Amino acid sequence: MSEYGLQSGSADVQSAGPITFGPAGILFLADNGSARVFAVDVADPGRAAGPEPFDLADVDARIGSYLGCEAGDVDIKDLAVHPVSHNVYLSVQRGHGDAGQAVLVRIGVPDGTVTDVPLGEVPVAEAAIGDAPAADDQRQDITIPSGEQGEEVTYGGRTIRILRRPIRTSTVTDMVYVDGDPGTLLVAGLSNEEFSSRLRRIPFPFGDDVTGNSLEIFHVSHGKWETAAPIRTFVAYDGGASILASYTCTPVVHFPLAGLTPGSKVVGRTVADLGAMNQPLDMVSFVDGGEEYLLVANTSHGLIKITGRDIDSQAPLTTPREPVGVPRETKDLQGITRLTNLNGGYVLALQVDEDGRRHLRSLKTASL
Amino acid sequence: MGRAAAASVTWSQFGGVDCIRLSGLARELGTQVRPGLGSAGEGFPAMAGRLVRDGDDVCFVPRFPFVDGTSYTITVRGATAAVLIRPRPERPVTTEVLAIYPTAAEVPRNLLRFYIWFSAPMSEGYAARHVRLVDAAGDKPMTGALLPTGSELWSADHRRLTVLLDPARIKRGLAAQRQAGYPLRRGEPFRVVVDHGFRDASGRPLRGAADRWYAVGGDERRRVDPDSWTICAPSGHTREPLQVTFDRPLDHGLFGRCLRVTGPGGQPVAGSPEPGLEERSWRLTPSLPWAPGAHQLIVDPVLEDLAGNSVSRVFDRDLTRPEDRPRPARPVAVTFRPR
Repeated sequence: MSEYGLQSGSADVQSAGPITFGPAGILFLADNGSARVFAVDVADPGRAAGPEPFDLADVDARIGSYLGCEAGDVDIKDLAVHPVSHNVYLSVQRGHGDAGQAVLVRIGVPDGTVTDVPLGEVPVAEAAIGDAPAADDQRQDITIPSGEQGEEVTYGGRTIRILRRPIRTSTVTDMVYVDGDPGTLLVAGLSNEEFSSRLRRIPFPFGDDVTGNSLEIFHVSHGKWETAAPIRTFVAYDGGASILASYTCTPVVHFPLAGLTPGSKVVGRTVADLGAMNQPLDMVSFVDGGEEYLLVANTSHGLIKITGRDIDSQAPLTTPREPVGVPRETKDLQGITRLTNLNGGYVLALQVDEDGRRHLRSLKTASL
Repeated sequence: MGRAAAASVTWSQFGGVDCIRLSGLARELGTQVRPGLGSAGEGFPAMAGRLVRDGDDVCFVPRFPFVDGTSYTITVRGATAAVLIRPRPERPVTTEVLAIYPTAAEVPRNLLRFYIWFSAPMSEGYAARHVRLVDAAGDKPMTGALLPTGSELWSADHRRLTVLLDPARIKRGLAAQRQAGYPLRRGEPFRVVVDHGFRDASGRPLRGAADRWYAVGGDERRRVDPDSWTICAPSGHTREPLQVTFDRPLDHGLFGRCLRVTGPGGQPVAGSPEPGLEERSWRLTPSLPWAPGAHQLIVDPVLEDLAGNSVSRVFDRDLTRPEDRPRPARPVAVTFRPR
């Protein structure tokens, strides 16, 4: 793992965030508590898996049982599938407040065993993703840490340990890894202050310049209004040449990645609008019969399926009329909150049923 | 599932860590712990942990701490030995809402966000259920007004929560805006309510609910323009505050960090910044008397007003209005001279 700059250490994740696999079985974990991304060698023990589906009922209760808490104390933030073994990794926040703890859980495929993945004394690298607080931003929360964090200060002959943390924070909403030399980790985030549309590009192996390498993504609605908004979820498309992004304000926007320089402003092509009182939750793209498709999990409708050919031929939306944008099929698949590719033939979904129980369910791509 | 014979099963400690202690067991083999009552967790994985001998006892030391208020079922070779409930410590309820921003009495119809300050660190996962807008006339909830973000937006110590109104209903041209309309209605006052069920970091509720009432005015769709602000220059060689009055209320979170002052040589002027009433003004009392010569108020281009319009761009730009073209994302300097 040294060729990727990983060295023995700890991925001290404070608040579980999105996860995604990179090269050689390296998992990227976003820590929304410390505004960092960790790259961890998860030392997956599995063998190469086949094309079979994988389903697991009550995944939240199973994880809760293993972690010693009720299903309601298990907040599954994201899921990722190991590219070789197809073991399922879940980014979980266990409990709330002071008792809260980030845990990386592995579900064995096909037997459904639950284990936690150690994040201490593992090959790890990290990159800061928050905008560094401005040097003159005096606004900081100062607390007395319980451990060895922070710094020692002396007041009137008395030395105490304090922890300074910025009031301004950035929450990672989604991450995508695009292979290349070097590879690129794309990180979308939501600021707790400004309404920013910044997409960060972090070369991997991690280097020094992270925060400066970002793009401002704009999109145009109906040829008349240009807006910037934080990306909620996105996928690499067309072999990583472009991105399909969905926003807090629901349009699905296409923009190319090639030739974009840091700090440049990018205006994407709005190809679909998911409609009122709706939020995109997750997206995945898959190839079936030589054709690329997009699935969009959202809060108001069943799973939405869009054909890549329609995206490619969709002219930018210019007239405010229905239907809005590319043709889409709405599947009778409700309650899907997370999506990822399981293998060539199946997409793995995290689905909440009417009783609030959460299940892992394989969706056969040829039948969607 | 039968009941296993065990002399006693109790909460205890082993090596300074909370554990479950089983006395009177001949062998520890087959001892498992699961959260929940009785057979509810049957078929689910056993709780992660290890069994250690401590004299004649067997201790279950969990990998993850026991959760206050949660029941745990202990089985020995498949038979229930005991059900223990982790006690929830009784502690006084002390946390409260300190402030809700904006503090302006009237907000634009296209208001973008609120900030809620709490007196102590809070737990995540409660905002969607315990922060809401209600229309002031009928006291009815305004469903779909707030943006469900998935991840809540907290300051690092979890004392300040940022709450966004649904931008899809504010931005012109989007399907959501046309179908559902603005979250707020001009001339129809509303309240933002934080109810007492919001949990602090130790799991306790608030001392009471908190709310703030707002009137709703027209839309604000202009870029923030520092040249339109009124600067009351202080007297030279004094420590009189510099007083800056904006043309509209600005975003509470941003204007605390987006304004700074430099002296004649470009050096930063140290001092105590102070926000004014309704976030309509700002003043800086310098640490040292003002030097003579030209000073500059430096404005970060990300500074926004209540509707998300910033110094560099309007929130949703009408491409037919050339005056709304974005400005370069560079700091804007406004010059003043101490009198």
